[in-house]
Amino acid sequence: MEFGFTAAQQQRYDAILCASREKLGRAGTEGAGSYFTRQQWKAAAEIGLTGLCLPEEHGGGGLSALDTALSLEAFQRGCRDAGLVFSVSAHLLACGVPIRDFAAGEVRQDFLRGMADGSLVAANAMTEDDAGSDVGNLAVTARSEDGAYVLDGEKSFSSNAPAADVIVTYAVTNPRAGFLGVTAFAVPRDLSGIQVGEPFRKMGLDSCPAARVTFRDCRVPARYCLGEEGQGGAVFQHSMGWERACLFAGYVGLMEHQLERCIEHAKQRKQFGSPLGSFQAISHRIAVMKQRLESARLLLYRGCWLMDQGRDYTEAVALAKVAVSEAAIANSTDAVQIFGGAGYLAQTGVEQHLRDSVPSAIFSGTNEIQRELIAREAGL
Amino acid sequence: MSDDVTSERISGYIRERFLNGDKKGELEETTPLLEWGVLNSMNTALLLMFIRDELGVVIPPTKINAGNFQDVKSITAMVTDLARQDQATIAAGTE
Repeated sequence: MEFGFTAAQQQRYDAILCASREKLGRAGTEGAGSYFTRQQWKAAAEIGLTGLCLPEEHGGGGLSALDTALSLEAFQRGCRDAGLVFSVSAHLLACGVPIRDFAAGEVRQDFLRGMADGSLVAANAMTEDDAGSDVGNLAVTARSEDGAYVLDGEKSFSSNAPAADVIVTYAVTNPRAGFLGVTAFAVPRDLSGIQVGEPFRKMGLDSCPAARVTFRDCRVPARYCLGEEGQGGAVFQHSMGWERACLFAGYVGLMEHQLERCIEHAKQRKQFGSPLGSFQAISHRIAVMKQRLESARLLLYRGCWLMDQGRDYTEAVALAKVAVSEAAIANSTDAVQIFGGAGYLAQTGVEQHLRDSVPSAIFSGTNEIQRELIAREAGL
Repeated sequence: MSDDVTSERISGYIRERFLNGDKKGELEETTPLLEWGVLNSMNTALLLMFIRDELGVVIPPTKINAGNFQDVKSITAMVTDLARQDQATIAAGTE
């Protein structure tokens, strides 16, 4: 059993952390209503972040799940903009992974090259008004017609959609087959019959634009299918496995950065003539933050390692997702309390972590669904 | 394990876990499990675990499709087929 980074992992982590601080350290300071720019996206691509786990022959990094996670952790630790990190992660994991593993021929090559070099932005469109985690209840349909599929219906929440060039989406092709009647598609945004709504106002992850996506008689050539007809449920679960494992590494990076700030603040800020950290109420709070971070980190690394070993990772990744998201929310609440009035002010960036953390218990499969998976794996 | 035993074990699991014991005895070999919503994504994941842990057969992702999970009969045929392939592979390895 080895818990340390390899020399190559440490070198990559340090390089990404340094580049992220240098090139994207100020991203996200523009406030609510400002979304990531193409310039920032290109900067992320130059660091290699938009193609971490995409194949090297298409310009990606060819990294394993664990190395992808470590890279995203370093990215978020150096870049205060969790919205940008989330956008890159969704692009890479919810879109790049299924295209990498299920797209065919030129479609795979063209999309992956553009996604890796930052010239394309990808959006994932699964959620519907009446179907979130329940893949078998989708209302968007795709009917087969002369070598194409005609998509109709509306996706209610698609991260990155307003900026997207490619939309990975899921539609019912066989209504009698439940979740095995769902097919996955990677749809070029410029096809006719696609309408993207105005970006939502959200609680956090401000710079990640999200909106409704409507398909109306949208004719998608069959070559844009991901996998075979009816494999969409499996394609989605596969991409969510990667997302639950790797995207949440960003929150490990967020907590690492947050803890550094809290420790620094506890050393500098004085009350009653003594540093805050000399009061047990504060030092123990910081100790508990550290404990949550490190235990969540171990679960996440283990989940990624199991994926890379080709072993069953469902339970491990579900445990990691719950641990990381709940640690991020709890630590962010503690950070606001430690900073006191300053923590409540938007200008310090402390409260932003809390707003960015709250959705982590919801997306990629709610924590309720993860607990359901964990309980059932335990035989309950 | 014979086809009948495999079929009975799969039916028994579906009755107990997803049909609350199926007290009216409605589950048959050709009951359309997907169409009736008995097998949703969560239940299918559970069934896959049961087949792996209790019947010793790992179902690869390529086999997870509407044809193979249509009803108990099609699931049994797939599991039996995969089990035979596993045994043939083991036998070839010992020769």
